[in-house]
Amino acid sequence: MMTPRAVTVLLEDRLITFNRAVGLIRRRNLPVRSIAVGPTVTPGVSRLTIMIHSDEATAERAVQHLQKVVGVREAAAFPARDGVTRELALVKVRARGDRYAELLDVVQLYHASVVDDNPEAAIVELTGSEAFVLSCIRALERFEILEVARSGAVALEAGVGEAARVPANV
Amino acid sequence: MAEPLTGAQILCRALLDEGVDLLFGYPGGAIMPFYHALPEYPGLRHVLVRHEQAAAHAADGYARASGRPGVCVATSGPGATNLVTGIATAHMDNTPLVAITGQVPRAMIGRDAFQETDIIGITQPITKHSRLVEDVAELADAVHEVFAVAREGRPGPVVLDVPKDVQSQKHEYAGRPARGADDAREGLLGVPTPTAVVEAARLIARAERPLVMAGHGVILSGAYGELRELAERTGIPVISTLLGISGFPESHPLHLGMPGMHGEVHVNRAIQQADLIIGVGLRFDDRVTGNLAAFARGAKVIHIELDASEIGKNVPVAVGLVGDARAVLGLLLEAVPRRHCDDWRAEIESFVRPRVESFRGDLSPEGILEELEHETAGRCTVVSDVGQHQMWVAKLFRYQRPNTHITSGGLGTMGFAVPAAMGVALARPGEPVWAISGDGGFQMNMQEIATMVQEGIPVKMAIFNNGYLGMVRQWQQFFHGRRYSATPIWSPDYVRLAEAYGIAGYRVERADQVTGAVRAALAHDGPALVEFLIEQEANVFPMIPPGASLSEPIESEAVSV
Ligand SMILES: Cc1ncc(C[n+]2csc(CCOP(=O)(O)OP(=O)(O)O)c2C)c(N)n1
Repeated sequence: MMTPRAVTVLLEDRLITFNRAVGLIRRRNLPVRSIAVGPTVTPGVSRLTIMIHSDEATAERAVQHLQKVVGVREAAAFPARDGVTRELALVKVRARGDRYAELLDVVQLYHASVVDDNPEAAIVELTGSEAFVLSCIRALERFEILEVARSGAVALEAGVGEAARVPANV
Repeated sequence: MAEPLTGAQILCRALLDEGVDLLFGYPGGAIMPFYHALPEYPGLRHVLVRHEQAAAHAADGYARASGRPGVCVATSGPGATNLVTGIATAHMDNTPLVAITGQVPRAMIGRDAFQETDIIGITQPITKHSRLVEDVAELADAVHEVFAVAREGRPGPVVLDVPKDVQSQKHEYAGRPARGADDAREGLLGVPTPTAVVEAARLIARAERPLVMAGHGVILSGAYGELRELAERTGIPVISTLLGISGFPESHPLHLGMPGMHGEVHVNRAIQQADLIIGVGLRFDDRVTGNLAAFARGAKVIHIELDASEIGKNVPVAVGLVGDARAVLGLLLEAVPRRHCDDWRAEIESFVRPRVESFRGDLSPEGILEELEHETAGRCTVVSDVGQHQMWVAKLFRYQRPNTHITSGGLGTMGFAVPAAMGVALARPGEPVWAISGDGGFQMNMQEIATMVQEGIPVKMAIFNNGYLGMVRQWQQFFHGRRYSATPIWSPDYVRLAEAYGIAGYRVERADQVTGAVRAALAHDGPALVEFLIEQEANVFPMIPPGASLSEPIESEAVSV
């Protein structure tokens, strides 16, 4: 069944390893929606999260290919609905004095926060599922959006999933 | 503490510790410290090629023939990029190839220095692994790591990129370290679950029209005995893919032939009628399956394959058995009951048609290959190039001994045969090695005759000269209205070319000259060349048009547009 899935990879935090893992995704022509990478609590190990829209076989094959990359420690895939997926976005909007109160209303409605309010432009930080982040950005469009930075999604499988059983999997 | 060595010396020592005794290479600025150290290690024989592409192919040929990693060496920049086609060839056919390249000094990397190329980046999609050595302290480790990766599991090419200043840096060499990182990787080598083995055995016991399809994995894992035992115990006929050829003796009554685009009609028909296909060490390449949607519709597939990501990639699989072909066949043999397939074999027999490659003229590829086989008593290794002759060599020579047919299958690299045969000849001293090429492919790497002469490598070269890039011409004939665009190809006088290089050369124009020329070439001590002037517009039949199913072969000229 075609559905959003998360492919999570623990890998050596060297650019060449990251390059190989992402290059493989490109070469195998996977339907990628977002890619995010960041450190883990284990020194020298990064976590790469690739969101794809695919059937199960495609996701499993991606995992098998990724496991073959030298420097990849673990790879796993799960349907997004079986876990928690979060994305962070920073949205810079022009917030003139006369509409500032209106902006704060929107921010509050989406449980977001204003993290910088320079007199010319405010930066709003928001976190949530991809759909949530998109709808929030849409709500902010009534103010003039100057810049958007989205992190790409990170995801964890709920419960003690396949991945969580591996001790080093942090 | 041991005396410090230069990086170049460490490299040599580490190569020796990996069991390497032969390198194919070409020097240049960024690899000079290595070449400076080389004469201190007489255990490392270096063969100076005439083009780095040939170094990669020769190392590939050596690896295929010996089962040990083949090593090639080149300088940075153009030296390294000249290796690329050879690395890609090894990648597609899973050959353990170690490519060692010089790189500009570390401080210059990333500044577009003279002869700097990012060879790691360039080869990333066509290597199993690669490493830029950033400090001499990690050099020995890097050597051992890339060899382990090249060799283990599903073999493949690796690149070791060594900056010039690292080759001159000093450090101790502690010998080959105990295995670390690669032990963990071995865990990736799966074993089939017992239930899968039982299920496979059950399918094999019950099938009415089963076939074994044997691929390169049979040769890579040396599963000859196991494959034969499985066939003999069950009576299941064996098909060999292009790279599986010589994994099963062709004189065996259960040998069927080659499937796919140029496969025999009865083989493809058997596939289409089968109710069970046992694929051993292959990837169900599109050249084998034809149109996937119409491939073996009635067959369940048991897929034995080392690389789990191959199982189910191209064809749906009923039972996947992950693991080394030899080991898995061994497990399967314990579970499979004795049976026979007499009715099915008789049915396949009824599919057999007389050979359709009705060659005109009396000097036929068939006759030439028969003579080669006869004169060597089948005791030779045949290395083919790419094109029509490759298909004839695959189908018309009867391979009896394991791993005696070597060709570039996955990438289909013209120019492979001549340099690869050098590696094969060095891996199998004392055994005749024939490089068989078309007039196109031969001219892509014929400069290597000089290497053979300088190094005394006794390759016997056969050129099937039809005056065309034959396989492309054949496609033009059938699918492009006979417009022979850019396919007629001029050749030099090969006998005089041989003379210029100081090797024996013969031209064969008639069937009655074949035996004499083949005998003379074999008797000649050293490299020799035989040019066969074959029919210009001979075709390879049958042929499945691209995109068609295995049930739709073109069997003769009459069908052409
Ligand atoms: C390096 C390379 N370039 C182009 C091709 C495409 N190609 C495949 S077969 C062929 C013709 C080969 O002609 P020749 O070497 O004369 O052999 P023949 O088919 O006549 O036996 C060509 C050009 C290729 N496989 N490899």
